[in-house]
Amino acid sequence: MRVKDGVLKYGFVGPALIFLIAFNIFPLFYNIYLSFTDAELSGGIARLIGGRNYGVIFDDTRYGTALRTTGLFVILAVAIELLLGFALALALQKPFWGKPALTTILLVPMMLSPAVMGLYWNFILNGHYGVVNQALSAFGLFQPQWLTDPDLKLFSILIIDIWMWTPFMMLIALAGLNAIPNHLYEAAAIDRASRWTIFRRITLPLCSPLLFLAVLLRTTDALKQFDLVMAVTGPNDRATQTLSALLYQVMFRGYKIGLGSSYSIVILLIVIAIATIFIRYIASIQAKQGRETA
Amino acid sequence: MNDPFLKIDNLSKNYGETQALSEISLSLHAEELLVILGPTGAGKTTLLRIIAGLETADAGRIAVKGADITHQLPAERDIALVFQNFSLYPNKTVRQNLEFPLQAPGRNLSKEDIANRIAHSADLLRITPLLDRPATRLSGGEMQRVAIGRAIVRQPQLFLLDEPLTNLDAKLREVLRVELIRLQRDLGTPMIYVTHDRIEALSMGDRIAVLSEGKILQIGSPEEIYQQPNSPTVARQLGYPPINTIDVHKRRGQWSTASNHPIMTADHNAPSNATLGIRAENISPRGGEIPATIEVVEDLGASTILLADWAGQPIQILTSGEQPWHIGDEIYPSIDPDRVLVWGTTDEQG
Repeated sequence: MRVKDGVLKYGFVGPALIFLIAFNIFPLFYNIYLSFTDAELSGGIARLIGGRNYGVIFDDTRYGTALRTTGLFVILAVAIELLLGFALALALQKPFWGKPALTTILLVPMMLSPAVMGLYWNFILNGHYGVVNQALSAFGLFQPQWLTDPDLKLFSILIIDIWMWTPFMMLIALAGLNAIPNHLYEAAAIDRASRWTIFRRITLPLCSPLLFLAVLLRTTDALKQFDLVMAVTGPNDRATQTLSALLYQVMFRGYKIGLGSSYSIVILLIVIAIATIFIRYIASIQAKQGRETA
Repeated sequence: MNDPFLKIDNLSKNYGETQALSEISLSLHAEELLVILGPTGAGKTTLLRIIAGLETADAGRIAVKGADITHQLPAERDIALVFQNFSLYPNKTVRQNLEFPLQAPGRNLSKEDIANRIAHSADLLRITPLLDRPATRLSGGEMQRVAIGRAIVRQPQLFLLDEPLTNLDAKLREVLRVELIRLQRDLGTPMIYVTHDRIEALSMGDRIAVLSEGKILQIGSPEEIYQQPNSPTVARQLGYPPINTIDVHKRRGQWSTASNHPIMTADHNAPSNATLGIRAENISPRGGEIPATIEVVEDLGASTILLADWAGQPIQILTSGEQPWHIGDEIYPSIDPDRVLVWGTTDEQG
């Protein structure tokens, strides 16, 4: 029986393990290896060149710009999505007529493919025939060149990202709000707490671990922003080139596999660093609040 | 006689088809501890929530010191409610839980006042060593003390307690019961205490209101409720083992059971059909004429409860623990005629 159990054990775990090694662990280490070589797609034998690729990164002015662009994008997108999402969740907290239908409609943007959304928004924001500028002209207002003005391009991508991902924040915030037991609000009402006090001292602190989780997920995701950039401006536009877009340019337009690998490792390290900070923070809040809600 | 502190008139509440409360009227005097006793689902919690303002009644009026509060918000009522599940704020320490009601807008207490009140309440409830502990790291009894503490720091004009001891173990329940009585006497604040526990009701209440299926069946002192319950339902609420209720009819001057066994002499002006209420301590296993068979012997140490089949009628007898009783023994139960409660039977089942 024991032998059989052992076989069974590996039988269950094995396929997943093989999959994980083949598609996650091997590529990761192969990527690390490549980042120390001068491998190119155009051929030739890859030679180990030590840390020279990493030196190139810090000389590359495109890299600094992409880092700034990505940082600005992440901070603005996540902050605005959090605020809007939480506000929507608060508005949807109490039951009212049509709430389920409204909630579903609000979730639609999240369920659509980013690439397709990028293309749609290309039409919506088009400077000549886009519906936004049509509407603005109907009122005789100034018509910004959303997609071609270098100062506006990133802002336009930001709008699309906010439109797509605010529902995600809302959904998680709603879960957090619904997890707060009603009797705490009743206790607070009896304790004569004002609405603001209830929000600041009960709703917000009890909801915050989930909000931080949502911020973590959105931050790591926004750091990898690529598809909207591809669909709206293309990967080479300096005004909107995020780290992932730069990586794409180096790797698949320049065919520099070795250099591209080192770019990807640097992005990975940034994501891991940020995620670690967030996860530690969430864990510390949860430890403080205790796992159960009394 | 002064106006009662709290006066409730004809309060009714329905949840859809279910009638939770039906024309509840009661009053509470200053400094009084009123126990509302009733089985689960009787409407006890609903009544408390309406008094606290968490629910609104469909009909009726609530007045405190003569002033109508029926439509006031909970915050306007200055009434403290201790929830059955404690409802501590989980993200706060014990001290912060106690501070919370004191920081309400309009209170304007100085930091010193707040600290003094918390120190005083914590001392009273013996939770001073716990003050800086997170509210989630407390035992059930500690949570309950903190919940009561959160109510008393406010110095409210009325306390409402919703089965506050139900979630605790028996030993702690006894300790806290005594403490609660002492606390209520010390503070002199009127209190409504909801419970389904007959011992709590008997030992704590200045008066007891018996609630069943949304109606108040009887209000009175514990002695009155115990000695002169006005219906079998009320009688069954108090006492252990539960009171024996036997449906009888009058036959040749005797109360006879359904199987026509005469069990005791009937008063000549008594109704022809009645329900007799006989507490287990008022039946003796000897001295009667009709035999009964012991079916269950429950030894409580100082006393013994016998469950017997008395001519088809199950009865419980409380007897001293001296004599050993055995299942199957034949006994001849006799009833103390002075201690029997007689309720005339109407068509409707009481």
